[in-house]
Amino acid sequence: MSRIPALLVTHVDLGAALVAAAEQIYGPFEDVGVLSNTGLARADLERLIRERVAAWSHGGLVLTDFPGGSCQQCGLLAGRGHDEIIVISGINLPGLLDYLHNRERYPVGELAERLMAKARDSVRVQRPPQA
Amino acid sequence: MSWQNQRVDDRLIHGQVVVAWGGALRFARLYVVDDQVAATPWERDLLADAAPGVGVRILTVAEAAAAWPAEQAAAGGAMLLVRDLRTARALVEAGAAVPRFTLGGLHYAPGKTKVAEYIYLDEADRADARALLARGVELLVQDVPAARPQALAALDPGVAP
Repeated sequence: MSRIPALLVTHVDLGAALVAAAEQIYGPFEDVGVLSNTGLARADLERLIRERVAAWSHGGLVLTDFPGGSCQQCGLLAGRGHDEIIVISGINLPGLLDYLHNRERYPVGELAERLMAKARDSVRVQRPPQA
Repeated sequence: MSWQNQRVDDRLIHGQVVVAWGGALRFARLYVVDDQVAATPWERDLLADAAPGVGVRILTVAEAAAAWPAEQAAAGGAMLLVRDLRTARALVEAGAAVPRFTLGGLHYAPGKTKVAEYIYLDEADRADARALLARGVELLVQDVPAARPQALAALDPGVAP
């Protein structure tokens, strides 16, 4: 199975910071692009995403930080008409790491569902043990 | 209560609108006034999903001008979004009694010059701003509720009538 590419589209430098954190844990990796929405109008962000995903011949994942935000909406606009481009919002470090571990094992749809579950499951509320 | 804020923002519905303004104002309805979006079903659907828990209404300029008085008298709060000053001007000229617009995000494009960190205008924008000011519409620059609103004319002498 071929590797599923991904593009992180986030506010400010969050995408670059997630990649840096993931590289510290996973090691160096390729085929994950980063795009910030800083200073970009809706139309320009949509165009830049479309340009970045144009080379994805077998689909890929657009990973965005915030549901309802410009990154998610422009990802959906840019991917319109492409069945194999999937937009995920609410990406976090556990989700990104799970993507890296599994991006050559699953087709894009299954990978997206798995990543979403992993990211969601990683948000936990715990109290420290009481001595 | 009704109209709480009228915002000019080329991103339309996005994080600042949903989280910052939505949290501060607790508006019940969010109007997107845009002829292009109103005419595009898939884009309407996309925006309608972008603000969970809020009634998103997507109207043409003419529809919004007609709906303005009824919304003004409605229960609950409402926020209005347009993507540029041209649409803001068109809405006022169509009869909506908008007292002020808050410029929250007009990003860089070739030919536009910087007015604030998140506001760039060209001469067409300035002509629309002058037309709005001449009609008595207040124009403020403010991206989020926690920021201090500033008069556009104080930041950009080019919009002075």
